[in-house]
Amino acid sequence: MKLVRPFFVAALFAFVASRAFAALPAISDPANDPRWRDIFNALSADTTRLAVFEERRHFPFRKKPVVRTGELRLVPGRGLSLRYLAPTPQILIGDDQGLLVRDATGRSHTPPDHARIQAATSIMANVLHFDLAALQQDFAFTGERTGADWFLQLIPRNISRAGSLGAITLSGHEGVLERLEFTRSSEQRIEILIRDARENVDFTPADLKRYFR
Amino acid sequence: MLAARLVLAVFVAACLLRLALLEPARDITTDILDLLPADERAPELSLVRSLTADVQARVVLLALDHPHSDAPPDDRAATAFIDSLRTSGVFATVERHADPAQREAFARAVFDQRFALLLPAWLGRMQAAFAQTALPENEFSSWAAEHAADGLESFLAQPEAMSMQELIAADPLLLVPRLIRDLSPLDLTNPAAKSRTLVWALQKAPPLSDAGQEPVFVAIDDALASARTLQPELSLEWTGVNRFAAASRTRIQREVTVLNLVSIVAVLGVATLFLRRPWQIVQLLPVVLLSLLGAWTATTLVFSPVHILVFVIGALLAGVAIDYGFYISLQPPDPQHPSYSARLRPLLRPLLTSCLTTVLGFSLLLVSELPLLRQVGFFVASGVLCAFGAALLWFAAVPTSPISTRPLSLLDRGRITSRRLPLALLVAALVCALTLPFTAKWHDDIRELDLPSTELRQNDTRVRQLFGERPAQTAYLTFGDTLAGARDRLDRFLRHVGNHAPDATVASLGAIFPTESAWRAAPSLLQKLASFPADFRATLERRTFDPAAFASFFDAWDENSRRAPPDDYAQLYRELLPHLPAPLAQTLAPFSPHPWFLSLVQDAPALPLFDDSGTLAVHQLETFNTLFGRYRLSALRLSFVGLALVVLFVTLLYRDRRAFRIAAIPAGACLAGLGLLSLGGFPLNLFHLLGGFLGACLAHDYTIFTSATSRLRALPSTAVRLSALTTIASFVVLGFSRIPVIHALGTSVALVVSIALVALEIEARTPRRP
Repeated sequence: MKLVRPFFVAALFAFVASRAFAALPAISDPANDPRWRDIFNALSADTTRLAVFEERRHFPFRKKPVVRTGELRLVPGRGLSLRYLAPTPQILIGDDQGLLVRDATGRSHTPPDHARIQAATSIMANVLHFDLAALQQDFAFTGERTGADWFLQLIPRNISRAGSLGAITLSGHEGVLERLEFTRSSEQRIEILIRDARENVDFTPADLKRYFR
Repeated sequence: MLAARLVLAVFVAACLLRLALLEPARDITTDILDLLPADERAPELSLVRSLTADVQARVVLLALDHPHSDAPPDDRAATAFIDSLRTSGVFATVERHADPAQREAFARAVFDQRFALLLPAWLGRMQAAFAQTALPENEFSSWAAEHAADGLESFLAQPEAMSMQELIAADPLLLVPRLIRDLSPLDLTNPAAKSRTLVWALQKAPPLSDAGQEPVFVAIDDALASARTLQPELSLEWTGVNRFAAASRTRIQREVTVLNLVSIVAVLGVATLFLRRPWQIVQLLPVVLLSLLGAWTATTLVFSPVHILVFVIGALLAGVAIDYGFYISLQPPDPQHPSYSARLRPLLRPLLTSCLTTVLGFSLLLVSELPLLRQVGFFVASGVLCAFGAALLWFAAVPTSPISTRPLSLLDRGRITSRRLPLALLVAALVCALTLPFTAKWHDDIRELDLPSTELRQNDTRVRQLFGERPAQTAYLTFGDTLAGARDRLDRFLRHVGNHAPDATVASLGAIFPTESAWRAAPSLLQKLASFPADFRATLERRTFDPAAFASFFDAWDENSRRAPPDDYAQLYRELLPHLPAPLAQTLAPFSPHPWFLSLVQDAPALPLFDDSGTLAVHQLETFNTLFGRYRLSALRLSFVGLALVVLFVTLLYRDRRAFRIAAIPAGACLAGLGLLSLGGFPLNLFHLLGGFLGACLAHDYTIFTSATSRLRALPSTAVRLSALTTIASFVVLGFSRIPVIHALGTSVALVVSIALVALEIEARTPRRP
């Protein structure tokens, strides 16, 4: 369901893109930029990951964000799993087969408006895996480093797929991603704060069955 | 002789004239649904029949692919493909599957009419939930405001909330978001198909007609060619009922041709054993041809359209017709009275009796409910009468040299000295016959009328999965006498699924529309909620929402409350239907004589239905199989009545023990044959029954023709043996058919006739009781 007219989306996209580009220096060749190589290598390590997250959803019609907390699991080849603990327990799984929501009783369903959420989850998985090649297809990179802290902004190249999510901001310390934000506008954004991240986690078969398809 | 020639000439001319006037497209059908009665007494089966014939069967699904690439076909090539299909003239509708533009337009239409369509059900739910609270009536509005805010907060935590935030601002009651969630099982998209262009088309002509096959195939080939001019690597997978129908027809034609040829060779092989000059059998060919000519003419005069299977099954008539030729041509002339009438005289009574018993038996099928049985019954009955007349006239009109037989001493050998062996065989036959009701496993499957193609089935499954069809999905059809009645029943069915299959998901496009009662109650409930906007604003404010962001909703609520309530329930449907994408429009028929709604239920394969649900699972084949099972029982009753009438007829004619013998041997052979198949573990169906009946009629001929000699314990005549063995040979060949119907008929007739012949041979060799 998309009630915002396309021209409005385009204008919003142009606005966000121009603001973002104006704010940070561009990274024209992310794959070969020596300033970012160590960070990108650390982020894109092909390992299993487990972290705790807090998701803050900002809506234009609500003064306070809707806060959801949970655990994030990432397994190469099996996709991304977000286990929401509060306020409603459920697991969101994004993989090659698409998107699946599993409720507390274990019942699974595909959420409506599947294509757009699928795009969001797929991009989020790319971000968390830091699949540089895939991200470069959809986004232009800008960013800066201040000591061990770093700040990256990914600007959608077009309004079709990635553009509907808006710009993506990543920040962290050394090789660890700490914060992720999807920004369509100042009033429409999702912040995800990541902590207690662990790599090379040995998920048991029961875990894989429970948290993935 | 002249008179006989004249009668035959007039008969042939009249028949050929009639057949020349036939229009195959109009008078002959290959449609499997034409085997079922058009006025089937169960309305739900009529509905499934019409749904299958008029809607689903015309759908063609096409998946255009760019092999060796994850990207979908070039948009220009896909557009050229679709445009070519649209301009071909053979399709009524051609659309991209799950076209975003169409879905957007439909969603906008639903959003614009959300207060008329969706608010009545929301009001009804609020009223019902409020009634549970036992709060005073004047708190309804504030309670509803709190309840709506609860729902809104809960929804914002759902994955889909972020992508619907513009919508939520205009629809904080979540009328449309909830509808989108409820209808998501109808969203038939498959992520695996993202590298393909999927096209949904509805062909104009029925897929089982000629116009629905070759022209459609050509149009699809042309469309692919035009797409390939822009992207030569493109490939296409597609499916449609017409592909199955065309393949099935080709295979059946090939199968029947081969069977007929092998059958002729088998008959000639048997004739070679008995006749000194086997080619003399050609003298009997005119009798068979005249019989078939008469049967075709009479059947096409009485029935229209006649199903092609009637001609296939009716070809078995040749086996009966040739028997009359054998009896007459093998009858040696009396040296004292060499005239044709004198030669015919001793044969006339048994010939007439056997003809009339067969006609009587098959005529009874005319009262069957199943058009196929009525047509087969009439075809065989009229054909047997024609065979009888043709045999009498042909040998009168055309002098033929007598057919000389070869003595087969092998068949005449052996005498049974003890009565124990016949008795043991009789007991065995009785056991087979009597255990039939307990051992028979009846399995009626409409697919047995067809010749399945594994390759096409696999292709069909693959393409349908690309279009999002899921194996665990069952379609249900809910119907009513009126639109409001059908929608009420749908409401009850949807609640029933929720109560009885909580793990299942159910979706029906009918859920967009309110029930008539909810729709009529809405204006008074709106009056009770006069203060709802103020209450809801206050609640939103208190819960940290910005009420100003929902201004468009409050404006729309006020406007809707001021609007005069409409008085035509059906108008809701008229206004939305034009916006429905074509594939979705096939899932409801609000203005048909029995309005119906289709529901898709996921993960509830054995959902029990309640009485008066007006709902049936659309397992089409299974539904028709149940129907076939019912017709088989009807045919079974008719067969018993037919056999009883034949017995009565023979008893009246013979008035002695011969009548019992003439009736008992065929009936026993029939029951023992079917019993033997059951004991062998073969499931029986309607066509085994039909074959058994045909076999019993043929066996009657042999018992009638041996009745004069049986008292003398004389062996069956060459004519009887030749008739029976040629019949067995030709039906054994049919028993090897890969078409299950023909296979069933072949095995059952061959078995029944074999048992009857063995019984006659043993009877003739058994010593008489001292």
